[in-house]
Amino acid sequence: MTDVTLYHWEPNANSGKPMLALMEKGVPFASHYIDMLQFDQHKPEYLAINPQGTIPAMTHRGAWGSRVLTESTAIMEYVNAAFPGPDLMPADAQDRWRVRWWMKFMDQWLGPSFSMIGWSVFVGPRVRERDPEELAAAIERIPLPERRAAWKKAISGEFSAEEMAESRRRVALGIARLEEELGKRDYVGSNAYSLADINIFNSTYSLPLSQPDLASKEKTPNIMRWLKRVYEREAVGKTWAMGKTDMAARYSLVMEGIV
Amino acid sequence: MGEAVLYHGEPNGASLTVLAALAETGLDISCRPIELLAGARHHLPGLAEPIALDLGIEGEGPVLVIGGEAMTESVFLAQYLDELAGGCGLQPDDAYAHWDMLMWCRQITERLSPAAALLGNLASAQAAIAAIPADRFAALTGAIVSDDLRGRWQALHSGVVDPAQVADSEAKVDAAAQRCEDKLADGRDWLMGPFSIADLVTYSWLAGMESIRPAAFACRPLTRAWLARVAARPCVVTALSLATVSEPLRSWAPGPEINRWG
Repeated sequence: MTDVTLYHWEPNANSGKPMLALMEKGVPFASHYIDMLQFDQHKPEYLAINPQGTIPAMTHRGAWGSRVLTESTAIMEYVNAAFPGPDLMPADAQDRWRVRWWMKFMDQWLGPSFSMIGWSVFVGPRVRERDPEELAAAIERIPLPERRAAWKKAISGEFSAEEMAESRRRVALGIARLEEELGKRDYVGSNAYSLADINIFNSTYSLPLSQPDLASKEKTPNIMRWLKRVYEREAVGKTWAMGKTDMAARYSLVMEGIV
Repeated sequence: MGEAVLYHGEPNGASLTVLAALAETGLDISCRPIELLAGARHHLPGLAEPIALDLGIEGEGPVLVIGGEAMTESVFLAQYLDELAGGCGLQPDDAYAHWDMLMWCRQITERLSPAAALLGNLASAQAAIAAIPADRFAALTGAIVSDDLRGRWQALHSGVVDPAQVADSEAKVDAAAQRCEDKLADGRDWLMGPFSIADLVTYSWLAGMESIRPAAFACRPLTRAWLARVAARPCVVTALSLATVSEPLRSWAPGPEINRWG
């Protein structure tokens, strides 16, 4: 029996971060797939693990009993510190600061914009096909008021033109600045593969497919070089093989395009 | 490490966190006060790598410049200083305790700090910002790279107040005070057990709310006592002594944005 159980959706965005961090560290874990599109994360059995109903969550059993950890980036930092294996934080203090800065930039500024676009074109339309009464009940079960409002907005397609324009502005700007960053260093924030790469890769791995006007061999050669380098990591291949939807299939499509 | 200079505002909010962390480490880093409401943060000299200043999330927080690189975000600066000093005790060594502290700090920086900044600015900075003549305001905001930070300056300059945003911010301040009260209920002196960055960052955004939102503290004696304990910590005393005004906890400048979505 493994000591670590990870409750996650697809190897994508927040769920993909601890999946890949565990894989990189070589930590065996029990995978518990939470189907976000079926609202598994708001069902009583999952709320018993994480009452906030957010994914991912990780449990770690040991002499202390069982710990529950939440918030994808913080889980990654825990995984890196708690387990042996390659260090996924650079040794230099200024590099460590830069890694943290980029992760916050993604988690709080750029990521929500990727997410808003993704939800408006992917999650919302898929979920809207379901019975409206069932959807209303599912929304009512969401524990956090902010997440309840976010889901309602995504499901109803209520993002305003201004909100979408602002998200597109941030995505374009974020990609441009990431391109600059990767022209200065081999990896995000330092010259060594780190948690920042895992974080940002999980939200940018399909850029050549999802944002071809912004990210391509011609427009963003540094990002493409970096994507290829990260894509070729054994842990990335193993993690993306755990995907159950066609999101994971984008892995091979992108690889074909950048190799 | 190249030449290091910490540019900071009055010791409140993000600037207070970093000034206190620096005092705790004992590191010899030059501190230079700047007038945040004059836009001085957007005219720092010798920047070769400004992205963290240009696109920082925290708003008008302190900037540590090392080797031409602008470093921002107060929690990460506090971590950096602690680590540069070889670990002076501001972060737990244990991985789980460290995760717990990071989670706490993220709650504070995502929820309390945007709320406190909004209420603080409305109470003490809006009049000054609104009084900036149009041509000078255009020049000041024209130097701000971040469109969203510039938008927060413009909202204060316009004088438009969204009552729903004010009510939401008051609720978030109340909630932060209650989180402290709950955490301190077992008799501990400091939020995470040992004194840590969590105490610094929480104090830095909450202490200024005592005068603006007294209702948040009225029935929370443990939180009031904890605020007094933090205020008496030598590193906080040192940071507050750098103030150039009589009441630094009433000094505010445009802060982080309130979450756009979810």
